[in-house]
Amino acid sequence: MSAQAAVPAPPPRPPRPARALVVQSAAVALAAAAVLLVIVTTLGNLQARGIPIGFEFLGDRAGFKIADTVVPFVPDHSYLRAIGVAIVNTLFLSALVCLAATLIGSALGVARLSTNPLVSGLAAVWVETVRNTPPVLLLIFLYAGWGEAMPVGEAQEILPGVLASIRGVAIPSLTGLGSATPLLLGAAAAVGVYLAAELAARRLARAPGRRFPVRRVALLVLAGLLAGFLIWRGSGLALDLPQAQGDDIVGGARLTPEFATVVFGLAVYTAGFIAEIVRSGIQAVPRGQWEAGRALGLREGTILRRVVAPQTLRVIVPPMTSQYINTIKNSTLAITIGYSEFMTVMGTVINRTNHALEGTLIIVAVYMAINLALAALLNLYNRRVQQRGRGNG
Amino acid sequence: MSRRRIHPSARRAGLAIAGLVSALAACAPPAGEERGAIPRMTGRDYVTCGASQGISGLSRPDEKGVWRGFDVDVCRAFAAALLGDAEKIRFIPLNAAQRLPAVQTGEIDVLSRTTTMTFTRDMAIRFVAVTQFDSDVLIFRRSLGAAKPADLNGRTVCLQSGGSSADNTLTRIEREAAIRFERVYFDSTITARDAYFSGRCDVYVTDGFLGASQVATVARRPADHSLLYLDHLLPQSVAIARGDDRWFDVVRWTVNLLIWAEQNGVTQANVDQQLKSGPDEVRRVLGEDPAFGRAIGLDRRWAYNVIKQVGNYGEIWERNLGQGTRIKAERRLNRPYKQGGLLFPFPWDV
Repeated sequence: MSAQAAVPAPPPRPPRPARALVVQSAAVALAAAAVLLVIVTTLGNLQARGIPIGFEFLGDRAGFKIADTVVPFVPDHSYLRAIGVAIVNTLFLSALVCLAATLIGSALGVARLSTNPLVSGLAAVWVETVRNTPPVLLLIFLYAGWGEAMPVGEAQEILPGVLASIRGVAIPSLTGLGSATPLLLGAAAAVGVYLAAELAARRLARAPGRRFPVRRVALLVLAGLLAGFLIWRGSGLALDLPQAQGDDIVGGARLTPEFATVVFGLAVYTAGFIAEIVRSGIQAVPRGQWEAGRALGLREGTILRRVVAPQTLRVIVPPMTSQYINTIKNSTLAITIGYSEFMTVMGTVINRTNHALEGTLIIVAVYMAINLALAALLNLYNRRVQQRGRGNG
Repeated sequence: MSRRRIHPSARRAGLAIAGLVSALAACAPPAGEERGAIPRMTGRDYVTCGASQGISGLSRPDEKGVWRGFDVDVCRAFAAALLGDAEKIRFIPLNAAQRLPAVQTGEIDVLSRTTTMTFTRDMAIRFVAVTQFDSDVLIFRRSLGAAKPADLNGRTVCLQSGGSSADNTLTRIEREAAIRFERVYFDSTITARDAYFSGRCDVYVTDGFLGASQVATVARRPADHSLLYLDHLLPQSVAIARGDDRWFDVVRWTVNLLIWAEQNGVTQANVDQQLKSGPDEVRRVLGEDPAFGRAIGLDRRWAYNVIKQVGNYGEIWERNLGQGTRIKAERRLNRPYKQGGLLFPFPWDV
């Protein structure tokens, strides 16, 4: 909803100021009174039923385990930390789904416009199927399908080095690199450096005169740093190959069936919607742009990437924002197949502490905070795209 | 022109305001209402009982939609005691996370759904009486050849999330035997059970009778699975909202009646004859002494009604979990104390 705020609405006809003021303030006062009455009644009822209310419980020992966490968690940690860990799980899951769905969905959207009837037909079947079925069905179907399709009794090598069984999929991983946090920070710093270089390169490209190869230099520096790191820590480095132990897989980097199903299922589902957004975005670009590109002798792929796609962004960013927000909300469906995202953990917290009202408030606050932050970020981006679009077009 | 436009909108606003005010008035609690569940139940003439989402032998609707099971029949006893008719009852299926709030808010009058009485929970709702002594059970494939929990080191375990006792039991086993389990959590025992049967896990851990029921009624070949009962005692109790002494009385003494009747040989079949020519105490409890009914605020024949319509504890057990059913659960600790169990009736009078 807030995504659409960037598109300027036609100004409403001004009503008579005095009367409008009275009506509006009456409406606001009434709404406030309604909220207040609900709060007072609720508190009164809770007190009458002897249900204590408060957030002190957040500091208590959680006493339960969470499977499959990004951030470490043990039962001795507090409820507050459990909630934090669960939020990170939800964000991690949603980010993966958004990324995968955007990649798949863009390809799918382009495929729907293909002149090859087989390609566009298959894409249409995909899009129509997921758009007209509830996502929870897809998840349950995929999860049950995993149980039926994966080898039982002995993990099998499905690709060189990749093992699969009903217990999950594992790929080879590197060991001896030390703990994950500095590695992740290093990777983030590298990405930051490269993005800065990219910005500098763009600014330089606009300036006249000799070009300094910023991108190439940045890549060289990063490659040098990576090589240095490998020489420094390389001695302890080893390849950890997953091994079958009956149904279980030991070693390697393991993906549980629950997590894999949620990511894959939601990505497939969301991709269907993103495909439609991308398709409509492309079709919103006037045909003349394509024809102009052809007249210049550009190839179709180049026209799409260089001419049409930048103009498409102007149309698709607001609906994409809604779609990303939907994805975060849809991540709660993971509860049906046992991945510990935020809703699942909050259910456990509420069940253990009996603070249903506070728990529900936390759920509402967290999802609103995440989604409003995301919407604000994408609106910022949208404004930039709009400005650039108007300036150039 | 503007006059015409503003008038309907003002009227609409007026209507909205009126609607809102009346809605709010409906929300506010009426003053001077009689507290407690009993006036509510007698007023609408049925009891609402929190049940599980479907465990054969404990609480589950049969093919005709009639709820069957041990927990369900215990609830029917309450309806028989209070309203004189065991069928004046409605069952509401609840999951683990819903059950406590449902009691607290008064959505259900009584909870009879394999809920372990604990200190923390008893501070939120009011547990009344233990109806079943259970323990956690580890269920695994016989082919694993495990004889004790330590033999399951490193195995994958499916279980219900929500901080179940099973989870804490696993942690305790891990500490005692210095082993580790790989856990996979599900939102209900039903999804956890299905994941175990599909091979996702080596082990499934849950409440004992619930697990026995699921293996007996859901597994393709029940004989393929081993059940390892743990020594941790789980008192499964019925519960009501806090601060309701009158309803507490009815629930506690109805459960007591079921246990007492078994101990004294009062059954559904012989209750009429017992009322006429049984021992003194039996006749008094079944309705000959009006003081009992008056003291608890129930019909003089409430105890007779319960036994006549629902049966005693042993009969309820045999009907739902006993050797005549598919589940064939051992009564273990749920026998009268004279037979080595933990069940004993409180005396009615000195």
